Amino acid sequence: MRFERFGNEPGYGSYMNLKEGWIDRQIFADQHIYEEEMYRIFARSWLFVAHDSQLPKPGDFLTTYMGEDAVIVARQNNGSIKVFLNSCPHRGNKVCFADAGNTRRFVCNYHGWAFDTGGALKGMHEEYCYDPGDLDRSKHGLRQVAQVGNYKGLNFATFASDGPSLEEWLGDFRWYLDMILDNEEGGTEFIGGCIKSVINANWKFGVENFIGDAYHAGWTHDSGTRAMNNGQPFPPVDMKNSYHASVNGHGYEFGLEGVGDLFLLGRPRVMEYYEKRRAKMAKRLGEMRSKIFGSVASASIFPNVSFLPGISTFRQWMPKGPWQFELRTWVIVNKAMPDDIKEEITKGVMQTFGPGGAFEMDDGENWENCTTVNRGVITRHEKLHYRCGISRKVEHEVLPGIVYQGQYNDANQRGFYQRWLDMMETRNLRDLPARPEPRLTGVAETRDVPGLFAL
Amino acid sequence: MASAHRKPRNAPHVPSPASPELISALEQTLYREARLLDQERYDEWVEMLAEDIHYHMPGIETRYRRDRTDQVHDLTRMAFYNDGLGDLLKRLARLKTGTAWSEDPATRFTHLITNIEVETTERDGEYRVFSNFLAYRSRNERDQDTLIGNREDIWRESGTSFVLSKRLIILKQNVLLSKNLNIYL
Repeated sequence: MRFERFGNEPGYGSYMNLKEGWIDRQIFADQHIYEEEMYRIFARSWLFVAHDSQLPKPGDFLTTYMGEDAVIVARQNNGSIKVFLNSCPHRGNKVCFADAGNTRRFVCNYHGWAFDTGGALKGMHEEYCYDPGDLDRSKHGLRQVAQVGNYKGLNFATFASDGPSLEEWLGDFRWYLDMILDNEEGGTEFIGGCIKSVINANWKFGVENFIGDAYHAGWTHDSGTRAMNNGQPFPPVDMKNSYHASVNGHGYEFGLEGVGDLFLLGRPRVMEYYEKRRAKMAKRLGEMRSKIFGSVASASIFPNVSFLPGISTFRQWMPKGPWQFELRTWVIVNKAMPDDIKEEITKGVMQTFGPGGAFEMDDGENWENCTTVNRGVITRHEKLHYRCGISRKVEHEVLPGIVYQGQYNDANQRGFYQRWLDMMETRNLRDLPARPEPRLTGVAETRDVPGLFAL
Repeated sequence: MASAHRKPRNAPHVPSPASPELISALEQTLYREARLLDQERYDEWVEMLAEDIHYHMPGIETRYRRDRTDQVHDLTRMAFYNDGLGDLLKRLARLKTGTAWSEDPATRFTHLITNIEVETTERDGEYRVFSNFLAYRSRNERDQDTLIGNREDIWRESGTSFVLSKRLIILKQNVLLSKNLNIYL
């Protein structure tokens, strides 16, 4: 990083005590803390930027944000992905205004500086105005990110050159990710298009909801659940056979019943499809993961991606100041699925977790009000309670990560805020602690792990 | 954004002018529908929908003019609504549960419907109706938003009135500048 943020520590640890289970609301409201989140977390984390299927051909591109930095993600002629700032080095104007497309050049509207799909400066309007020695083209391409990585179709990028590899960053969470990314031969794809909306809430409320908040579902979403399933209420939660698992601030909460989220999707044919595949899934990912998939579950990847395995919404929470985020949502399906199943899933997702969805409508309303009340300076300094299930930590022989028993729990949320604190306070990313110590170090493919993890 | 409405594909039919009586009857139908939606009288709104309704509001990305992606008619793409009657009834069922907490207190709605044009179609008793909408929502203390766009409908004669058998809604926002769509357009 070219900027220095560390040395005069404000002590972010004073904003929370995760052993006692509370968090100060200032982290959801304070502009200064938000700015530091951008530098310390978003400028240093591996951030999701694109699914492979969004960029199938050379020249395909999309535009997105890493923190609040606008970037272009582009497929190169050699099949690799490059990610660079969507900002001309001459006066800073954006060089691309489309959400997605295919191109040979990104040309700035201001002075015609033209860049190839790798971000290299290739020419400009009236080139003769530059005398020899004025401009070294090779040094004035679009600013590249430090690293790009791919995990099973998901492309990530980071502005940090000194941090953990993507494999280390995801760590044992790959075991959980594979349930959505690799439950069928051929991998996954996104359905075409992206639905974006604006919610006037702090970005962390979206992430923490998906990372572990099964607790809200039966209450907040009682109406949505009944609407989607002919009046039937939210399926009962088995507190013995359900868990929270946290790895490096990522988290997955889940039951073992195998059908809860599929039920919430409200599409019987999709449920039948997965039921027929369950034995194959067990062979591919192991018995345990075949029981987790499809159960009431939700997950987030630190810092700002979430998904619902079984329901198939995949989303990113784009921070836009402490009081607002932009929600981008996609539908993720297995490539090998027949078209009619993909269509059923897409419709089901839009009915449940689109802006007009029976579930989504109630979430945004809650998060906005959790955020806006903190305009009150007395309110802002009140603590929030994050102690649910704090004594239910277990050592599990199969499940990797920091595991807590009982799906109704704040454990993954505590894990997320612990990572938030690690990122805010760790000067050198090489010193970022692994939480917990990984079991899968050196394992490239979680399907291949014998014994313990393949149970 | 892609152009909102292309010419209907493969449609050699040249619409004949609609009579003033027909135009007036369909205008009144659209205004009545808007009033029912303003008042959340959804059971009565559903009575105005055909069994085979397709209610579609695509999600439209910002793309360059040269881009040929069909963002409007490709029904496999992401959409805010891509619903049949059964799908709409499921969405509406949420309000009837009594536990849609975020709908109480109620949102205040106003639908303004303008620019109504009526065309005959190749089918007797079915009319293509173009209109623009401005829908305003206000909630609780100061929460408010405005949704503006075009609609292209097919209304079908049914007894002495009309039922809606097709609606394409083009919302003029890239990022939906609202937290949700607890509204029908």
